[in-house]
Amino acid sequence: MRKFMSLSNGSNCPIRGWRDRVFAAAGFFFVAVFVGFILLLLIADALYIDKKAVLSVLKSGFIRDALWLSIWTSFATSFISLLFAVPIGYSLSRFRFPGRVLVDAIVDLPVIFPPLVVGLTLLIFFSQTFLGRWIQGDLGVEFVFQRKGIVICQFVSAASLAIRSSITAFDEVDRRFEHVALTLGCTQWGSFRRISLPLALNGIVAGGILTWARAFGLFGPLLIFVGSFRGRTEVISTTVFLEQSVGHLEVALAVAMLMIVVAVIALTTIRLFGGRARVKS
Amino acid sequence: MIRAEQLSFSIGDFQLRRLDLEVAPEQYFVLLGPPGSGKTILLECLCGLKRIQSGRIYIDGCDVASREPRSRDIGYVPQDYALFPHLSIERNIAFGLHVGGFDRRTTHDRVARTAQMLGIERMLKRSVKGLSGGERQRVALARALVLQPKVLLLDEPVCALDEATRQDVCAELHRIQRQFGVTTIHVSHNLEEVFSVADKAGILYQGQFQQVGSIDELLRKPRNEFVARFMRCENLLDGRVIRTDPQSETSTVQCGKVRLTVPGRHQGQIKLVIRPENVRLSTSKAQSNSINEIPVKLSAFRDCGNYVKMELRNGVKLVAHLSHSAFAELNLGPQSELIVQLRPEHIHVLPE
Repeated sequence: MRKFMSLSNGSNCPIRGWRDRVFAAAGFFFVAVFVGFILLLLIADALYIDKKAVLSVLKSGFIRDALWLSIWTSFATSFISLLFAVPIGYSLSRFRFPGRVLVDAIVDLPVIFPPLVVGLTLLIFFSQTFLGRWIQGDLGVEFVFQRKGIVICQFVSAASLAIRSSITAFDEVDRRFEHVALTLGCTQWGSFRRISLPLALNGIVAGGILTWARAFGLFGPLLIFVGSFRGRTEVISTTVFLEQSVGHLEVALAVAMLMIVVAVIALTTIRLFGGRARVKS
Repeated sequence: MIRAEQLSFSIGDFQLRRLDLEVAPEQYFVLLGPPGSGKTILLECLCGLKRIQSGRIYIDGCDVASREPRSRDIGYVPQDYALFPHLSIERNIAFGLHVGGFDRRTTHDRVARTAQMLGIERMLKRSVKGLSGGERQRVALARALVLQPKVLLLDEPVCALDEATRQDVCAELHRIQRQFGVTTIHVSHNLEEVFSVADKAGILYQGQFQQVGSIDELLRKPRNEFVARFMRCENLLDGRVIRTDPQSETSTVQCGKVRLTVPGRHQGQIKLVIRPENVRLSTSKAQSNSINEIPVKLSAFRDCGNYVKMELRNGVKLVAHLSHSAFAELNLGPQSELIVQLRPEHIHVLPE
């Protein structure tokens, strides 16, 4: 019933006369072109795919390891990104301080970095600077060409998306809700926990999804910073590249399709959980 | 009781300047002023959402100026009510009790009792989405009142309602305030709300109180031109005192071509205020000599719903408000000749 109501409200856009119809049709034209193009690409891949290659991919232990490595590192990256995104998003949304504009710009910087530059920058930091060498040498936490490096590389490349979504989500929460909560007995932390966070949750989850998608498909920076050592630092996106570079186009395509299937399942599941949270709220 | 002493706050170019305010226990105080006069800022200073730069705020004798909003014992209802959209009506009302750590039974009892007093007990399980303006207001009031605050602050609580229901809701607000016996400050820019609810009112303009007093004082004895105009006093006349009578304690004032006798002894240039509803009209001269009489011509009239607004001219411009029946009895047309009758006690001289 609720779904029906929201659907009827959502479609309650008054279209009257030929001008309105042309306007609506123009909008739907772009929707159809974009969605159609994506579907065509997928269909082309599906038609070209070789069943034997699919079977060999599913049976390959190395590819299963690479897929599993991609999945857990991207989820770990999303989790760590959200850990940073929520406090950063709230602080940048609510507090005014000197240099806030600069901080806001730096938050977005990794998004506009060319992918290879992220890998190169990380490589230089950890192998050429005093602090990086101290972390890797004296502290004993190695990132370069190591599995841990995958998460840090994904984090640097994708965390900005979660942070930006979080800032926007907190911006959209009316401050008067927090003001009322303060007069009803809440501390700042209480009003954040009971009011701001639940109201911003959908936006934060959306940021988490974007981060996961970016981390899951990350390729360029990983190739430079952690390499692609089979069974050690090879993730599913680098598998596609490696297979394709040695002429195994069918295998590369089968791995790519596997990536797409996993991504669709993961995104749908996350969206379902997000949707459930929305309905519950 | 709430008392503010020498309260100062500034933000950008705007500042509240050394404001003093006292609202007696269980009194309904309306804070009036045009938009941008600082009403909402003052309210936010009182409940601690804005930190004052100097001054003191006392609630029942305790200085709360340095306390956080949650420790001030103030209930706050902002504009549009700010009901928490992710919580049901019941959980909205119970919010403060949950935060305060009240047990489940006490919370349930207090929510049920408050909801019953406000007539919303049947909608507790509903979502706040889709409520009407009046229902939202009741829920917001219940959420504030369930904590039994010492002072209730209402920021333009009926501005979101339509004209027709505003009066009824104001009357309801007054009833609820009396029922709960809570000292209340109600912010508004609408004069009708003052007449419906206020025991006392203050007019704020550019961060300063222009006048604080009873409705009668604000209406009939405005302290300055701004208050007179804000209270919709349309007759403001400039005059010069030409004679004072120490025996009768009156002054004779020349206003353009017209001479008026006003109460009190004055001198020099003065400004007179006459409420439009105190301007009486007649077609014949009065018997008494103590009444000011001015022959005028009707230059325009307009039906304003509850009354007829008439513009009268003859050397001075006067505005009169007449009931429809009184207007019909006079049987007037354009340029009709009339006699304005003004009792001296209905003429107020603005303090210098």
